[in-house]
Amino acid sequence: MHAVAASAPRSFADAAATVRSTTLANGLQVIVWPDHNIPNVALNNWVHVGSRNEGHGTTGLAHFFEHMMFNGSSRHPRGEFDRLMEAQGASNNAYTSQDVTVYQDWFPRSALELVFELESDRLANLALVPEVVENERKVVYSERRLRIEDSNAALLEEQVQATAFLAHPYRIPTIGWPSDIQSWTMADLQNFFHSYYAPNNCTLILVGAVDAGQVFALAQKYFAAAPAGEPPPPVRTREPEQQGERRLVLQRPGLNPLVHYAYHAIAASDPLEPALNILQTILVGGHASRLNRALVEEKKLAVAIGGGWSEGFDANIFVIHATLPEGASVPEFEQALDAELAAIVKHRVTEQELRRAKNMAAADFWRGVSTIDGKARLLGEYAVMRGDYALLFAAPEAYERVTRADVARIARQVFNPDKRTIGVLLPSGGDAQ
Amino acid sequence: MTATPALDSEPVSSAGVRIPPHQRCTLANGVRLILIPRHDVPMIAFEAVVRGGARLDADGREGVASLAAELLTQGAGSRQPYAFADAVEGAGGSFDADAQSDAILVHGQFLARDRELLLGLLADALQRPRFEPAELEKLRSRRIEFIKAAKDSEPQSLIGSYGRALLFAGHPYGKPIGGSETSLAAISCSNVLQFYHDHFGADRLTLVFAGDFDPAALKGAATAAFASWRAAGVPLAALAAPARVRGRRVLLIDAPGSAQTYFWIANVGVARSFAQRAALELTNTAFGGSFGSMLMQALRIQSGLSYSAHAGFHRGAVAGEFAISSFTQTASTPKAIEAALQTLSALKQRGVGDAIIASAKSYILGQYALGFETGADWAAALADLDLYGLPDSYIDDFGRELERVDAVAVRQVVDSAYPDAQDVDIVLIGDAARIRGEVSKFGPVAEKPLEATDFAPPPRSAWAR
Repeated sequence: MHAVAASAPRSFADAAATVRSTTLANGLQVIVWPDHNIPNVALNNWVHVGSRNEGHGTTGLAHFFEHMMFNGSSRHPRGEFDRLMEAQGASNNAYTSQDVTVYQDWFPRSALELVFELESDRLANLALVPEVVENERKVVYSERRLRIEDSNAALLEEQVQATAFLAHPYRIPTIGWPSDIQSWTMADLQNFFHSYYAPNNCTLILVGAVDAGQVFALAQKYFAAAPAGEPPPPVRTREPEQQGERRLVLQRPGLNPLVHYAYHAIAASDPLEPALNILQTILVGGHASRLNRALVEEKKLAVAIGGGWSEGFDANIFVIHATLPEGASVPEFEQALDAELAAIVKHRVTEQELRRAKNMAAADFWRGVSTIDGKARLLGEYAVMRGDYALLFAAPEAYERVTRADVARIARQVFNPDKRTIGVLLPSGGDAQ
Repeated sequence: MTATPALDSEPVSSAGVRIPPHQRCTLANGVRLILIPRHDVPMIAFEAVVRGGARLDADGREGVASLAAELLTQGAGSRQPYAFADAVEGAGGSFDADAQSDAILVHGQFLARDRELLLGLLADALQRPRFEPAELEKLRSRRIEFIKAAKDSEPQSLIGSYGRALLFAGHPYGKPIGGSETSLAAISCSNVLQFYHDHFGADRLTLVFAGDFDPAALKGAATAAFASWRAAGVPLAALAAPARVRGRRVLLIDAPGSAQTYFWIANVGVARSFAQRAALELTNTAFGGSFGSMLMQALRIQSGLSYSAHAGFHRGAVAGEFAISSFTQTASTPKAIEAALQTLSALKQRGVGDAIIASAKSYILGQYALGFETGADWAAALADLDLYGLPDSYIDDFGRELERVDAVAVRQVVDSAYPDAQDVDIVLIGDAARIRGEVSKFGPVAEKPLEATDFAPPPRSAWAR
């Protein structure tokens, strides 16, 4: 096997030079990557707020705003945001993580000014109408039932996350705890919006059939009037060092036992980030990954194994989750998984494993940058989560530089049994009690 | 990546999507080859279509096409199962195979410089799969566990299998593509080999490549790799059109303790060849395709009954289902089903207003180009045209056809493609003890426990009141 990154096309280096960034006086950063392959544009507004910024009584608010931002402003009544967008051929969506809330629009170039008008309007003039809030509260609770309460896997994950962190707000489920969803007050909403939805807390990214000058002019026209907010309160809490393994067991109606490991890992901006991503691919990426081979294919102790690392502003967890066959032994699986993790700490990964992971990372990268949407997402990840969009263009080389020693170092750091949380879900047959 | 910026004065319209320059040819043994060279990223995407698919599964052996498909990637030619995956992933490639009702699709993407490796793997997978018994056994037992795991963590993902088994009872589109716990357990190695012998071969195959390659060189290499393949053991049988159901039936899949009820409301829709496809797409965008659709208005935006509601057509070689799908908390089950049925009735009675027609047109046109952005998108699109025997104008003229859609065309589509709200099968997954009494107002109810190991509907007599 040989290196993939070396085949980076010249046009990609040229493309890097076409990306432009500016910051308005109110602190809004605007990044533009012109790409005229299709006559469309992808816009992302990365708001630097997620469930990490929530506290007692306000869990789920970042995600709730992801919903409310589509529900009308003082200028455009509820429903008009979508109606106006659709009438000019634009679609939209949004998502919320522990760290950020990202608003996305995809549209033909002809809708560019409308999208600027609507995005700036909802940031400045969002309406919080009590009846609309109550309706949306029900919608979000429905989403929680769908994603969490009717899913053994998601319930276990939620419990593990809340156990792995004692102090840091990464313990909060992004969708929110049920009692908070039911009881946020209007004052909570106003306070949250005021604290986090300001131009200096946003990064605006446009990729597609635009040019930078035109975008900067529109940004100035539509966003410059919004005043900068007070810098949002920093998340000061650091997770205290874990003092020994934690374990939880859930009993739920169902058929398949589930096992979920969580190890404390590193932050997105950590220099060992490429090494940890390579380690992740070696362990759980693809059919030929170590854990899939050993535990699913060879020993057949699990029917599916996956995992990964959440790249956050602060050090987050690296998880490994497995679905076991009905009636399988959880201790036997845990023993085998522990042996695999101990082996990867004790012995270096092979050159072939490293090569495979690097080639997969490089191919993923090229697939990612083959669409305007993928480019916008990657620019956002590098600009917001890692502090500089230009790091994106160095990513293929950064992955290529990872050595077996780097992987060994991060494996030793992360896979420490004293700093892990293990969650097990034991099915209790078909009866719901 | 195109680095040259377009000028502002250049007319830009998503309606202008046209199939890029490409070549089509047919080898002497019937293999059809489509080549779409493009050089934006250093990759080659491929899509191989084997016509036939899960509709050809033998009764009681549902899932055999799907298992055969996945086994193509578990060892082929001289490569043992692990060696195959190592070759793919070692090059940073992707290589997947799955079954649909009308075809088996093998698709993936490799770095352009791995063209020979790609062709070698594809030729081996299709012509020389190893079908190792141990691999079949592993895959089969894993698939059975996946169905169980879905019952624990994603019950809504199974509702279509229950629904199609009911709606298309006795027709091949009623077969669960991935099989059921019962049918998978019955599949033997000889079933897989027989399926492969009967339903794989040069006369069933279309190969599409899109990406960074020299067409003449790739054509030569693909010809060398596939020219000597045999024909499929049996001719591809024609498929009868399924009949629409009249009246209503409710099938309640009992999931005790479920926090929500998941529901699916369906009848037989229209085929891929449906002539008024632009009007159909427009109508369905307005009815249940977009965020602001009539269904989303009724079930989410105005009522908060659900996080999501959707309607869509599965259009195959013959008519697949038209289905509305949504969910709601257990206590509001009748209210949400009522809202969905009323929305369907409103569409049937009043159609779609002119303002919404205009808006949906812009929306669909504005989004159209986003579906044709990458080599993989184009490979899939041309494979699809080939599978269903559709002309290039299906893509090239879509924008013009859509522009011409008016209220009359929408009315025709509403009348011909959408069922009356009185003529639907309703499938629910939920806590039967809490909802069985209330849902009987929608029609006669039959029940099946979620833990049953198949998707087959109860006998007809179960619906007798």
